[in-house]
Amino acid sequence: MTAVTEQGPPGGPVRGNGVDGPADGRTGWGTARTVLRLHRTALLVWAAAVLLLSGWVVWLTEVAVEDELATWEACERARQDFCDMTLGWVGYSEALGWAGLLISWFFLAVAAFAGSALIGRELENGTARLAWSQGITPARWLRAKLAVPALAITVGATALVLVYRWAWNAHRNLTYNGWMGDDAYLSRGPAALAYALCALAVGVLTALLLRRALPALAVSVATSGLLEFVLARYRDSFWPAVTRTSTVEGVSPPDTAWELENGALIHGRRTPDVDYWSCGDGTAAETRRCLDDLGVTGYYTTYHPESHYWPLQLVETGIVLAVAALATAAAFLLLRRRTATAATP
Amino acid sequence: MTALAAAPAAPKTKRAAPGARWLLRLHRPALYLWIGLVAVLAVGLLWLWGPMTDSAAAAWRQYDRACRNGDLCQYDQNAIVRYKSVYMYTTGALTGLPFLVAAWAGASLFGRELEHHTAQLAWTQGLSPARWLATKLVVPTVLVAAGTGLLVTLHRLMWTAGDGRIDTAKSWYDNTTLHTNGPTTVALALTGLAGGALAGLLLRRTLPALALALGFVAAARVLADQAMPHLWPAVTEVTGLGTGYTGTGLGVDSGLVTSTGAHVADPGCGPTSVSPACDAVYARLDATGFYTTYHPESHFWPLQLTTTALVLAVAVALTVAAFVLLKRSTAVVPRAGGKAAV
Repeated sequence: MTAVTEQGPPGGPVRGNGVDGPADGRTGWGTARTVLRLHRTALLVWAAAVLLLSGWVVWLTEVAVEDELATWEACERARQDFCDMTLGWVGYSEALGWAGLLISWFFLAVAAFAGSALIGRELENGTARLAWSQGITPARWLRAKLAVPALAITVGATALVLVYRWAWNAHRNLTYNGWMGDDAYLSRGPAALAYALCALAVGVLTALLLRRALPALAVSVATSGLLEFVLARYRDSFWPAVTRTSTVEGVSPPDTAWELENGALIHGRRTPDVDYWSCGDGTAAETRRCLDDLGVTGYYTTYHPESHYWPLQLVETGIVLAVAALATAAAFLLLRRRTATAATP
Repeated sequence: MTALAAAPAAPKTKRAAPGARWLLRLHRPALYLWIGLVAVLAVGLLWLWGPMTDSAAAAWRQYDRACRNGDLCQYDQNAIVRYKSVYMYTTGALTGLPFLVAAWAGASLFGRELEHHTAQLAWTQGLSPARWLATKLVVPTVLVAAGTGLLVTLHRLMWTAGDGRIDTAKSWYDNTTLHTNGPTTVALALTGLAGGALAGLLLRRTLPALALALGFVAAARVLADQAMPHLWPAVTEVTGLGTGYTGTGLGVDSGLVTSTGAHVADPGCGPTSVSPACDAVYARLDATGFYTTYHPESHFWPLQLTTTALVLAVAVALTVAAFVLLKRSTAVVPRAGGKAAV
């Protein structure tokens, strides 16, 4: 390692470094260019993925939907439970759902890349140390390693989310999943981008912790996936839900609402598991007496109307970005401590 | 490398060829992870099979008794939703296992060793390349087959227990359920292993081998899905123009039958009992009825077994390719020497 340092930067063994004289790699732009050149395969794959995915979504919404509309109408006319059995026929709704899932969960691929190819591999093979000996400080190296992919992810993810928003709104009568479904919730808002940036930060942090490519890949994918899984479970509590009550009959929420809970009011208290339905068989007086015995004073339903999409989405985005910021700060601290102790002896 | 290769060339000690212990020691974390994963999924499937199926079925009985007529009613909706989510998670995880095996085999088992030249080092330590590859394939094959075999058996038992009792349960021909209920998932996992070996030997780099191995399994999965309906003779049902389509199962083809018995495309007008205006459309086409070609549920095992055989054939082809590639790449040095002698 020392021998390499003594050789000096011009014509050093790092490909693409020192070509433009010693200034290259020591400026922010030079470091960024080094990162770009090193990870050009990943960049090309990402660009191709964004283009293919948006192209597919546009094709589905503009072209494939025509067949779908015809087939669907025929199925409806036939009144047969047959629409889901034809092989080789991929429904518009199902295909759009898959595209939505890919956009919602592409952050897992970001986590894999950040943990393994971006940082883990460089630490495992010692090429990071080589870069640090070529006039790039560790902090600048990490900054470029975070900034360049973050920019590429932001541009690509914004394009995907905008295309998907347009496609999802185009034929809402043909999509069976609601706005809160796994395929449509993240893929239509800034949370998709937030999860990707968080996955980048988490991947970098795990790679710096483990210093090995494959374990870092596995741990960073698992951690990012777990974060989304946990947040998705508590998603409904990120904004106050609406509760409607009635003293005479069960309440049903609006059509596109995300229903969270419904049940009876027992002496004014919300109780979801009351057998008040078993009172319905006798005469009106009998039913009333039965309900009085149970203590039923009314009914309620708790739900999120579709207008809560943005507040819910923005709170989740904020939480995920906060985790991303923490992970990034931890990565810089860890790197500084690592490289400081390495320099002392 | 040549100096190293010369050292063990004389097996005077006649040491027994190393068994599989080195492999298990090298990949101990992967072994523990595999055992843990299989155990967690098995517990999840057992939980589904017993208590969750019972409570979801009870909730559906409750619903059928009280809610079918549209009256105000209450039923244990949580039991049904819980069954559905745990079913989705376990079936999804089981569907993903072949991909996990492929990623591990391509990256950790083969790609990494060839990239860091630890494989080449092993070949100089009295372990021939072919034996190295055979051991690396046989031991994981046994473990992967045992683990996935156990899980698909439990999945099948669990699915059968809920069949007909839970209205929202997946049908036998639902794509993920179709594969997780039978040995095709085991065959796909073994394809992942063989694909990982070939990818690692072909690319000799960890991360590209990981990606290529995933590609092999994805391709095998697409092949299995596309080929499956054609690997066993399907049943064709013909019904009158008034009746419309009948028969539920894995669909192959459907359309109209003409008076000569020929099959033509369905213009999508529907049965005449529903839309009487379609009579004229069908008269113009000379149609006499509808036909559906599909697989009923009794075809589950023939379809599963033929598809398993097909996927296993792919796995064998990948394995053979890996051995041929290894033989060719390790035989370069002696062959060059032979030529020089001539």
